[in-house]
Amino acid sequence: MSSKESFTQISPSEFFYRNRDLAGFSNPTRSLYTAVREFVENSLDACDQIGILPDVRMSIKAVDAEKPEPKQYILTVKDNGPGIESKHVPLAFGTVLYGSKFGLKQARGMFGLGATMAILYGQITTNRPVIVKSSTDGKIQDEYEMLLDIQKNKPVILKHQTKSTSKTGLSVSICLEGDYAKAGSKIRDYVYQTSLITPYATITFDDPKGEKFRYTKVVRTMPKAPTIIRPHPHGIDVETIRRMLLDTHFQIPTVDDKMILKVRKELGLSKKNLNYLGIMQKAQKKWKNLSRQVRVVIAMMSFLKMDFEKISKITIEEIDVGNKKLTYWDFGESQSIALDMDPESRYYKQLANTVQGETLTSFMTKRFQRVGPTTALKFAEFAKFKPEQRIGNMTNQELVKLSDALQAFDDFLAPDPSCLAPLGASPLEKGMAQFFEPDFLTVVQRGASAYSGFPFIIEMGIAYGGKISSHGTKVYRFANRIPLLYDEGSDVVLKVVNDTDWSRYKIKGDPPLVIVSHICSTRVPYKTVGKENVADRPEIERELKLALLSLSRKLSSFMSKRGQAEADIKRKNLYSKYIPLIAQFATELAGKKKEPDYKKLIVEEPIVEEKV
Amino acid sequence: MKKKSKKKTSDDKQKILIDLLKKHGAEIYDDLNNGKFPKFSIPSRSVSNIVYDKKLRQYILGANTAIRNSRNSSQLRSFTQLMWLAFFANRLTNEKKSSTLRDVYYSSQAFAVDFEDQGESDNIIVDLEAVLSRPREDFHVFPEERSSVFGDLTIEYTVPGYEGKKMNLSDHPDGYAIGPSLTSCELIETSAEVIIAVEKGGLFTRFVEEQVDKKFKAIIVDTGGQAPRSTRTLLKRLHDELSLPVVILTDGDVYGEHIAMVIKSGSANAAHLRELTVPDAKWVGVWATDIEKYKLPTIPMTESDIKRCHDLQKDPRYQEGIWKKELEVFLKIKRKAELEAFSKYGLTNITDKYLPQKLELAKSL
Repeated sequence: MSSKESFTQISPSEFFYRNRDLAGFSNPTRSLYTAVREFVENSLDACDQIGILPDVRMSIKAVDAEKPEPKQYILTVKDNGPGIESKHVPLAFGTVLYGSKFGLKQARGMFGLGATMAILYGQITTNRPVIVKSSTDGKIQDEYEMLLDIQKNKPVILKHQTKSTSKTGLSVSICLEGDYAKAGSKIRDYVYQTSLITPYATITFDDPKGEKFRYTKVVRTMPKAPTIIRPHPHGIDVETIRRMLLDTHFQIPTVDDKMILKVRKELGLSKKNLNYLGIMQKAQKKWKNLSRQVRVVIAMMSFLKMDFEKISKITIEEIDVGNKKLTYWDFGESQSIALDMDPESRYYKQLANTVQGETLTSFMTKRFQRVGPTTALKFAEFAKFKPEQRIGNMTNQELVKLSDALQAFDDFLAPDPSCLAPLGASPLEKGMAQFFEPDFLTVVQRGASAYSGFPFIIEMGIAYGGKISSHGTKVYRFANRIPLLYDEGSDVVLKVVNDTDWSRYKIKGDPPLVIVSHICSTRVPYKTVGKENVADRPEIERELKLALLSLSRKLSSFMSKRGQAEADIKRKNLYSKYIPLIAQFATELAGKKKEPDYKKLIVEEPIVEEKV
Repeated sequence: MKKKSKKKTSDDKQKILIDLLKKHGAEIYDDLNNGKFPKFSIPSRSVSNIVYDKKLRQYILGANTAIRNSRNSSQLRSFTQLMWLAFFANRLTNEKKSSTLRDVYYSSQAFAVDFEDQGESDNIIVDLEAVLSRPREDFHVFPEERSSVFGDLTIEYTVPGYEGKKMNLSDHPDGYAIGPSLTSCELIETSAEVIIAVEKGGLFTRFVEEQVDKKFKAIIVDTGGQAPRSTRTLLKRLHDELSLPVVILTDGDVYGEHIAMVIKSGSANAAHLRELTVPDAKWVGVWATDIEKYKLPTIPMTESDIKRCHDLQKDPRYQEGIWKKELEVFLKIKRKAELEAFSKYGLTNITDKYLPQKLELAKSL
């Protein structure tokens, strides 16, 4: 390297330490709120995954209540989930980038990063360890006290003990600097709204002022768990293809001492030297258990016909699959030697696949969702590639061409929504009924739709009257069962609601109206890194509009009936107020003594009973 | 001395009105008794239904009528209001009590009949006028504004407490306010030969001081600007019952011209009423042509004066005679003169010179 600047690698935890604003830990107010979210969402996700009705208990306590804000708080979140195996606890909570959420399916968080960030933030601001208590069997509970070594990205265990317990679950407790005076209302909103969109969960919150918030589960059925699926071709870019290729296409491993050691170990020959044929025989027997790298080395050795000692004195120069030639450099003789490879040999196929990767058609059918052989062939024709073209041989330009074609090809089936886990119309309705106690309530779940290859489902509910206060329309926004509390203004849901001419649906002034909107997707298109507002993708906007339209129509017919009933009552009141007055005045005007018999005029009006 | 031939017109009028109210009341009473929703038929006062009647020389309402039905819940309230007002008018008339528009608004509150504001109750009063074809003064609702009258006219009061008491209207030099008692009095006798209506109080006082009533055998009426309806009623009665000609003197501007026109042929606002006009009344000045003729000091016309001129030119009553001619001259010279302008040539110039000439002229108009 000619540059004089020095480049040093930093650990992921150091990276996050330096960029904690990105993850929502910019100030004591926001940090306290973000920490609450991360732990609660992890707990809910954990319970969802194994189908346990969640019971999440959260508490925030001031270390010294007398101190002014911002001050140190102890945040504890305890759940009844599956817990984490004892041996995984230090890594799961003591390093950044350790998580189990890499698949493509709907989940609240990604990668379990946030929880570690919260722990990191707590440690930075208070220098106190995290306390993790976990039980996976409901008998023994492991308790860890840990710090994070930021530079090394490694956990430092201060204390580890086991106790007996009667329940499975995980409890995480951290000490962090926060400002509850400012964050309190957001946190309470968050807990309230999370309970609304998770009606199958019981969530409790003990706040620092001694107030207890308790939201008991309204339904006992959980939404179907989402399945992990392969990506849709429309949701793919060049970089993703490259990563997928790495998975299919395997580099020819460098055969150095380290590799040879690995091969010997896998063949069980660490201490024992065998000749070429012996090695091959051994490999045949153990083939099923061999790693891919080792298989490739064995395949090369089959053509070189060398044992471990000889192979350590050469280096592979080229494997030309087309011409069936293998060229290597012999250090001892200082020359290049080319060998013919027998195309019938199974080792030849092994090498060919390794070097060239899969064919385009098999790449398409194996790596993407809902692509069959027919579609794959059609696609190859569309993209102007030969169906049998090997993916591994593609140049950069070809990869870009492939990526563009994947986007442009319209005959792929719509994305598979089985990776989504909407709440469902009935639980949403029950949740809203419990929370708002409205006069009118209706919900809708739209069918699956997709934007840019990512499937999504819109669920929406509308509630009117009853115990809802008349402060105008309130919109509760959710994405993947997370409440979105900040940055309301620029959100697509708000846009759709505000674009609606409510007077058309007989809604006027500041109505007692609540709208709950839930967007489920494998990738919610947030506008900002803060993940609080959803961008206005046309496909999503359209679905939101249709959902709102169908709900508004139902609301409108309710309002008509109700308006009718109210008008009838009003009419009746009017007649019983005014007709007697008219009678009184007419009696005197006409010079009569007795009032006319007007009673039948008041009763005659048909009165429609109010129907709700 | 002129004496009135017929007596007790005032009492007759009251009786007719009370009978009319009773008739309406009885119809509604019967409807209620028969289980029918009662209704009123009210002549429509919308612009499209106001037409100019050349024979009557005034605006009248066309044939369109609106039904106010108590079955219709949106009309029920105003129906009740109208009913109450008829009831209230009946009491006022029977008890010979007077009231004002504002009184009516507040009185309603004693009967659980609510008006949003006085505007609403004023509207209902006009509705009742239209239903009965009688001005509100007939049912004892009088205007606040007061104009005055002075001259040799003997009257006899009909208001409670003064019944039979006679009075001569030349006894008090400030003149007599034209209120409910003068509106409802009997006109007994007069030596006057003409009625002079002037637009302004100042000129009225000057006329009294200069003994115009004696010099010209006149009854002088101060209209106080646009003549209130009680004043117009009195003018009409003086003309009809005593057969006296009416001449009108106003400022020399477009508003003055229209004040004279309203006395003569009423206003579109009162198209539902027939007893407020003196079709034979004559406007004698100040004309636009007088400004030049008498070399009066002038002030320029404002934009709104000019606009008013153009508006009046569209009115069918301004299509002929001096009415048309004077408007055109105003628009030509674009200047106007007040009655006081004659003071330039001495305070008595107007009574000494101008008035005699104009009274003479009036005979030939």
